Amino acid sequence: MWTKTKSATQGHYFNVAVVFLLIIPVDVLAWSLNNFLMTGPKAYLTYADSVASGALMGVEECKEQFKWDRWNCPENTIPFFSHGSFKKADKETSFVHAISAAGVMYTLTRNCSMGHFENCGCDNSKKGLQGGPNWKWGGCSDNVNFGERISKLFVDSLETGKDALAIMNIHNNDAGRRAVRKTLKLTCKCHGVSGSCTTKTCWHQLPDFRDVGNWLKKKYQRAIRVDSINGELRNARRNQGLMSVSKNDLVYLEHSPNYCKANLTAGSFGTVGRECIKPRKKDKGSTRWERKSCRRLCTSCGLKVRKRYVEVTSSCNCKFQWCCSVKCETCRQKVVKFTCALR
Amino acid sequence: MAGVVLETLSWKKLIALSIVLLICQIGFFLIGGKIAPSPHHVQQLLATKCIDEHKHGGHNHKHKLFWPRGAGSCTSVSTFEDQKIEEDEIGANQIVFAFQFPIPREGKELKMNKWFQYMIAVLGFEIKYKENNPMVENAVIDMDSRIAARSGNSDWIEIARSNEQRKLDCHLGEKKENDYYDCNMTAFFELGSVYYEDYLVNIRIPVHNNSAKNWGIGKVEDIWMHVIHQTGGFTQVWFIMKTCVFPVVLGIMIWYWRRIQQLPRLPNLLEKILFTLGLALTFLNLPIEWLTLAFNIPFMSLLSDIRQGIFYSVLMAFWIIFLGEHMLDDYERNRLVMYWKHLSAVILGCICLFIFELCEKGVQLANPFYSIWVTDTGTKLGLAFICLAGIAACVYFLFMLYMLVMVFINMRRKSTSLLHFSSSRRKYYQGLIFRFRFLLLVTVFCAALTVIFFIISQISEAQWKWGDEGVSLEYTSAFFTGVYGMWNVYVFSLMVLYAPSHKVITSAGGEDEDEDEDVIHLTPLTSEASTSSALASLARKATVD
Repeated sequence: MWTKTKSATQGHYFNVAVVFLLIIPVDVLAWSLNNFLMTGPKAYLTYADSVASGALMGVEECKEQFKWDRWNCPENTIPFFSHGSFKKADKETSFVHAISAAGVMYTLTRNCSMGHFENCGCDNSKKGLQGGPNWKWGGCSDNVNFGERISKLFVDSLETGKDALAIMNIHNNDAGRRAVRKTLKLTCKCHGVSGSCTTKTCWHQLPDFRDVGNWLKKKYQRAIRVDSINGELRNARRNQGLMSVSKNDLVYLEHSPNYCKANLTAGSFGTVGRECIKPRKKDKGSTRWERKSCRRLCTSCGLKVRKRYVEVTSSCNCKFQWCCSVKCETCRQKVVKFTCALR
Repeated sequence: MAGVVLETLSWKKLIALSIVLLICQIGFFLIGGKIAPSPHHVQQLLATKCIDEHKHGGHNHKHKLFWPRGAGSCTSVSTFEDQKIEEDEIGANQIVFAFQFPIPREGKELKMNKWFQYMIAVLGFEIKYKENNPMVENAVIDMDSRIAARSGNSDWIEIARSNEQRKLDCHLGEKKENDYYDCNMTAFFELGSVYYEDYLVNIRIPVHNNSAKNWGIGKVEDIWMHVIHQTGGFTQVWFIMKTCVFPVVLGIMIWYWRRIQQLPRLPNLLEKILFTLGLALTFLNLPIEWLTLAFNIPFMSLLSDIRQGIFYSVLMAFWIIFLGEHMLDDYERNRLVMYWKHLSAVILGCICLFIFELCEKGVQLANPFYSIWVTDTGTKLGLAFICLAGIAACVYFLFMLYMLVMVFINMRRKSTSLLHFSSSRRKYYQGLIFRFRFLLLVTVFCAALTVIFFIISQISEAQWKWGDEGVSLEYTSAFFTGVYGMWNVYVFSLMVLYAPSHKVITSAGGEDEDEDEDVIHLTPLTSEASTSSALASLARKATVD
């Protein structure tokens, strides 16, 4: 999912990368170049490529997480693709910001681990040493640190303003990156005398990105409505304002519009034409949330569920090697599809 | 007939010595905690998927190495969904997972270093669930694995190559298309030396139509490799510490032996075992690790483990004999054969661990990919050895506990009869018992400290540490240097305090002004050569009374 950097959609990604370069203000660009990047546009493009694919990865995860919700993460709400077209400040926007920031961080970390970047960070500056001598003395910091730093640089620089919306977005970006940290898996290896645990080394491993998505979906469900007071976010429900907002929480400024009805100014496309599923109850693979998707998307929005038989072609009877499929046949299959339609 | 230094030392001097040793001990902890970095570093590496363009390259071609960076680097794909795979009809046999490390940082090409001492690698597989290509039960992956290395810009030299099978320990809760299996790490290889600057690992996962090998392992998307090695800083601190401690312990050992030589009698068992303990510690301290900086010595870590094993087994033998010789009963021991039951538990345990160690690290010298734990028979054998060693340890501790209880019972019984003694003699004997108990407590204190620090370091290792937040002490390093220093301090103080006292042999000397002086002369001067400690003579005295 995340490694599609050079796959079929290469051209598309490249465009995104270029768009990216254009929307970052020149002064930020120059500053960041001095600080982090090697001279020359090539190295910069290397990052942009990863950043773009990371953002897309976030979007794909967003779509997966909201597959059976009324709002299903349409492309145009995503900050990278619709910058400046319209500004929203609801719960859904907060999720999109968080998951794209997380995706960027995640992809950068992975690509750093692959040795793609010549300037992955080594900022284990506990003993005051940096770079080469530090490497020999105490090793380098986790690649996650690098991913986080570059993600912060790229994604947060999209917020040029200093208004409440910008503060909210930056907070949510940060919450997204924290989600990656929080879901890191601790792994240990014992390697003492005779393989005993007198010597144990532990490290943090990147999780499956699905774990990050699940974490953020939970945060989305418990997102906090805030007011921005003097550039500081305060919980809107508590008038005392004593309750500060945790950095791990997603925050939003406005209530969501009704996503049942199409309202383009509010960023809602409505649920007409959306697909839903009616799995059999015996089907263990489905969750309650999925089983109730037709009611949620169609019936409760005042739409009816239309049943259609569709013929789909897919490759089948393949002999699979562990990497790639070889020798497939094309099969045609009739499947039932449910969509929401106007009464 | 004289006692040991401990019995003749004045309170002031004993306390002063204790304080000095305690300061040394704290120093050892601080060296590890403040100066040394964390003892190990982990490099997290994600494989580059190189493509072997020669589809039917034949046997010869299988020897080609692939590397992702630098001159002559391979063509690679980011995912197996890449169009190139489909267009060129690339199959599983053409894919080489390549790791070239260390990876560049901060714009610099980093190098591995001889200070890193050893290297341990584990693999993590990222396997996708596909409904039409699921992983079979107890799936085994078969890897053609190679390690190559180079220094400078020379060609890659192959260090090891082997066909390795590893169990895929993977689980999946909900079976949803494209979800990833939750796979546990598998051991990959261990190298006993880090002699070269750059390392390269190539993994092929071959499939053949006429064999079941590597079918049904799911859709392997990526392979992670985590390389653990010692940090250069820790190695430096460690080497320097060993080098400093070595002459000190050697010196005190020579001093101790000369004292024994000066005695008019032959050394007794306790003195001999204590000298052996000093010898074992000196052998452990001997800083031959410096040689690894000049030569490629892969067996160094095996040798270190063996040296450590020898020291700890002598230490355990010493404890048993120490307790036995202070039993305060009328039983005459003083010969090694009297302890055969206890010592055979120690020896059995040590032999078990030694064989196990040879099976694991010994074989690794020939094949770094080997691990006793990856095969079923190996696992059983390994567990059997460890169980045996565990049982031996239990038996040993039961013996020790029994003897300890006996010593305390005897001591209490004896101390009641002390009331019949004259006041100065009573004071002297009570002092003896107290000092014996004091040393016993030091032993328990050392053991407890080891355990406590072990637990702290384990917790801190597993704890969430992020950057510089909060932690100002490297607990794991402190554990290593602290415990190492502690046993050095322990043996050092034993040799100082249990050396035969000069006080009777040479009546001149500053210490004779001590308040203890007249007490020394009260020591019953029994003529048997075998009795050495005043404690034993106390035992006899008390039974006579």
